[in-house]
Amino acid sequence: MLTYTLRRIMILIPMLLVISFLVYLGLELTPGDAVEYMIPPDVANTLSREALDELREALGLNKSFLERYWIWLTNVLQGNFGHSTSGGVPISQIFLDRLPATIELSILALFFSTVIGCTLGTISALRRGSASDSLLTVAGMLGVSIPEFFFGLVAILTFALNLAWLPVGGRLLPGYETLWDRLPNLILPALVLSLMMTAGVMRYSRAAMLDALSREYIRTARAKGLPEWRVNFVHGFRTALTPVIVLIGFRLPTLIGGSVIIEQVFQWPGVGNEFVTAVRSQDYPLVMMIALFSVLAMLLASLIIDILTALIDPRVRLE
Amino acid sequence: MSTSAALNRRFDKLKALEESGKLKSRGSGRAFRKLLSNRLAVLGLVMFTIILLASVFAPLIAEHDPLRVDLRSRLLPPSAEHWFGTDMTGRDVFARVLYGGRISILVGLGSALLAAVVGVGIGCYTGYKGGWIDTVALRTSEIFMSFPQLILVLMLVAIVGQSLVNLILIFVVTGWGPMYRMARARMLSIREEEFVQALESFGVGSIRIAYKHMLPNALGPIMVNITLTTAMFILAEAGLSFLGLGVPLQIPTWGNILNAAQDLRILQNYWWIWLPVGLVISSFVLAVNFIGDGLRDSTDPTMQG
Repeated sequence: MLTYTLRRIMILIPMLLVISFLVYLGLELTPGDAVEYMIPPDVANTLSREALDELREALGLNKSFLERYWIWLTNVLQGNFGHSTSGGVPISQIFLDRLPATIELSILALFFSTVIGCTLGTISALRRGSASDSLLTVAGMLGVSIPEFFFGLVAILTFALNLAWLPVGGRLLPGYETLWDRLPNLILPALVLSLMMTAGVMRYSRAAMLDALSREYIRTARAKGLPEWRVNFVHGFRTALTPVIVLIGFRLPTLIGGSVIIEQVFQWPGVGNEFVTAVRSQDYPLVMMIALFSVLAMLLASLIIDILTALIDPRVRLE
Repeated sequence: MSTSAALNRRFDKLKALEESGKLKSRGSGRAFRKLLSNRLAVLGLVMFTIILLASVFAPLIAEHDPLRVDLRSRLLPPSAEHWFGTDMTGRDVFARVLYGGRISILVGLGSALLAAVVGVGIGCYTGYKGGWIDTVALRTSEIFMSFPQLILVLMLVAIVGQSLVNLILIFVVTGWGPMYRMARARMLSIREEEFVQALESFGVGSIRIAYKHMLPNALGPIMVNITLTTAMFILAEAGLSFLGLGVPLQIPTWGNILNAAQDLRILQNYWWIWLPVGLVISSFVLAVNFIGDGLRDSTDPTMQG
């Protein structure tokens, strides 16, 4: 297990190097002076032209491209991500401010979609061919066809504006600081964000469950007189879980991408919201850094998924 | 004597049929019949055709100019004159939905087809050849696919700027990966078939083997992939335009019409501006998904019977 994990980590490193190189290339090719994001812009504005040139020399910006990339990379690895060119704030500060909101939202959405998706998928598989099965199948199709933000708009209109059960959007109100206080604000965006993934998980867990239930060992389990629930959940569900976990890993990018739009719909102050603002104001350092970190998050997530599948299914380790 | 003569006649008939190419079309004919027997797929085809035709013939159906601003008739509710009412600047929403469909479908279908050309074009050859060229293509696709798609799209929008052509190109750049993976996987299994060995031993060129003889065997999954990718790109265009970062705002598209609903006042009081177009997008994507699922069931040999 340890060698498997280590080997998976070793594959990630060259991948990350190439991607960070591409991101740096993008940063170099887009308009804007590197000095502007390496020091706070308000400091840069007070400096004279000669002082700026000296600074450029000192920061190594006159060196060759590869050397500049190396300097940039070591800076990033030390947590020095540069400054946002539109706001002048250090990018690490933006991450510290915005990341908790996004993580909170994504984890809750992931939780919703896994639990709801697996439950509905299993029900659907156990009652194959029944009315509830066909109903759930059509609902799943609708779930992947309605644009998430449109669903979000309808949800805001219904639950926030007309029924006034939940707030329209936003996150931190003065005096409301614990997660429990924020829950009303969190619940609607998380549900909407989970919609598309729930539909996918449901469809997939139905197929995986049907596949598992048709195996020989299920018949053996029935034959030896195990109660039906034990056959379905201990013998069937556990086998069905592996492909579902892999699917959740594959769908994570939709969740990350979806959170960009959903955060905008609900005015949720997360990284996705910041990303859209950065794209609008062509704040390249910030755009590139968020993109780099989303890749990092994806690769880490896929690593975790791989380890989880290896834990559940020992055959994977021997590949 | 008489039986063998009858058999000979039957074989001659079969041979004639085969030579005239009539037997060959049976395979795709069966797949098509199977598609038509799938009720959801037929429903999808009907919905798809209606929305497509309504968009293509927009000038004949819509009486109003989708771009004409009329400040005296702002925010009118639906009526016989304006079927879906008018928006904040008095433009006819029905006309905008029809004309918007042209661009949205063009972006969705066009990008999916181009992505298929690029992805399948690369995957077909490199998957058959193998070796270093395959490794390079595989690693490149891995790099592209390690970005969450929407993040990569928005990053490229920030770099190259907003325009219709740029958006289609960006979709192709970000969407060829899965198409390539699928084509490559199919090629890896078709490569082991005997007819490929036969062609190789005849000395047929590798480009000819890959594109002329192996590619047609993978058309089913490619078609399924194109439909599902179309659905994905239409949703992506709508999402991006909703953010104001897709197709430039002055061109009507489904996403650009929905953009107005970011304003809570419009969301609450003027439902006709955003609800019909949202339903149109959803039904179109649903139709495309139905067709894709039906195609998968009718072309995938593991799903037969």
